[in-house]
Amino acid sequence: MKILKFLGKLSCGLLLAMAVNGVSAGEVPMPEIPKAKSNFSAEQSCVEPTDFMRQRHGLFLKHYRHDTMRRGMRTLQHSLVACINCHVTADESGNYPTVHQSSKHFCRSCHTYAAVNIDCFQCHTSKPQESFSVDIGPVQSD
Amino acid sequence: MEFWTAFYAISFYFATFILLFGLGYKVYQYAITPAPLKIPTTPAPLTTGGVVIRLLSEVVFFRSLFRSNKWIWLFAMIFHLALWIVLIRHLRYFMDPVWTLVVLAQPFGKYGSFLMLFGLLGLLMRRMFVTRICYISAPSDYLMLFLLLTIGISGVLISFVTRTDIVQFKAFILSLLCFDFNWQTMPTDAMLLVHLSAVILLMIVFPFSKLLHAPGIFFSPTRNQVDNPREKRHVAPWAVKEFETSPASTTTTSE
Repeated sequence: MKILKFLGKLSCGLLLAMAVNGVSAGEVPMPEIPKAKSNFSAEQSCVEPTDFMRQRHGLFLKHYRHDTMRRGMRTLQHSLVACINCHVTADESGNYPTVHQSSKHFCRSCHTYAAVNIDCFQCHTSKPQESFSVDIGPVQSD
Repeated sequence: MEFWTAFYAISFYFATFILLFGLGYKVYQYAITPAPLKIPTTPAPLTTGGVVIRLLSEVVFFRSLFRSNKWIWLFAMIFHLALWIVLIRHLRYFMDPVWTLVVLAQPFGKYGSFLMLFGLLGLLMRRMFVTRICYISAPSDYLMLFLLLTIGISGVLISFVTRTDIVQFKAFILSLLCFDFNWQTMPTDAMLLVHLSAVILLMIVFPFSKLLHAPGIFFSPTRNQVDNPREKRHVAPWAVKEFETSPASTTTTSE
């Protein structure tokens, strides 16, 4: 019984401590997402509406990877290289972080927060490329 | 502040309160309920250490169930293990930074959800098609399965089909945990709302339902008693007071 009462007091104390902490500090951990370099168009900030990108960018990267590699289909609107070029921004000293080096890398900021693995960069580079004029073959529209 | 955010935030606080205090009260009630008789199901362990092992084998491996019915055991085992993996995976929404164990559990949890549904469907089939089980099934038996299936199916749909903004959702949950009453906005995809509603209902119904078998197993006299009736006389404290038979005078009592 004493143990139960003690546990009861302890849990109330913990709740109270959390409450006091939360309200006084008011710090909800949030991902620090760097701003992209430019907008896609006047109406739209990214290649698809922002809500859509937040939920489904994985589909473009993963499913289009399949289309690109297995079926030779390439599109200009959804390209990993273009994502990286626009979204990965330099730090104070002007260096671009790789996804492994810095938690401020655009991809990593959310992926670490949500504990989702990224396997893109086991093959691809996570830094912007200086000259992005690779021959990408015949381009198909969606 | 959006309606849904406030609605779910308040519902979550309410449900957590009911769950914690309901469960705490139930455990307290179990703890003070007298067990007047020495009734461990034999063969039973002769020492306290043995009882710990027996209880653990019940809790972890469902030993009694295994002995009584193999295929119910199989479905129950699949469901409970998968539920653990899925729950561990969901911890990522409640902590920042996320523990390594939880990070490692992510891919397993994703596919564990299918196992969980498989186990639940098996248990539902049993209830519906085994005639004698169907006969004794009460509406609440179906309600538990229905809630868990709703949670499982909507969860799988969110994860694999309809998607939601999980980063924003985690921010919402953390703002609840920090008691930051300026809550972060919650994503309002239909499937997410269904998922959360079912979770909230399950949390509220937990302390009033057969789901109490989770803490209850530890208080089963047939499982948690040491088999030593001759070495040590079993007297409940209230019986001593009521009938003035002190444990000291036990030797003279005719048995």
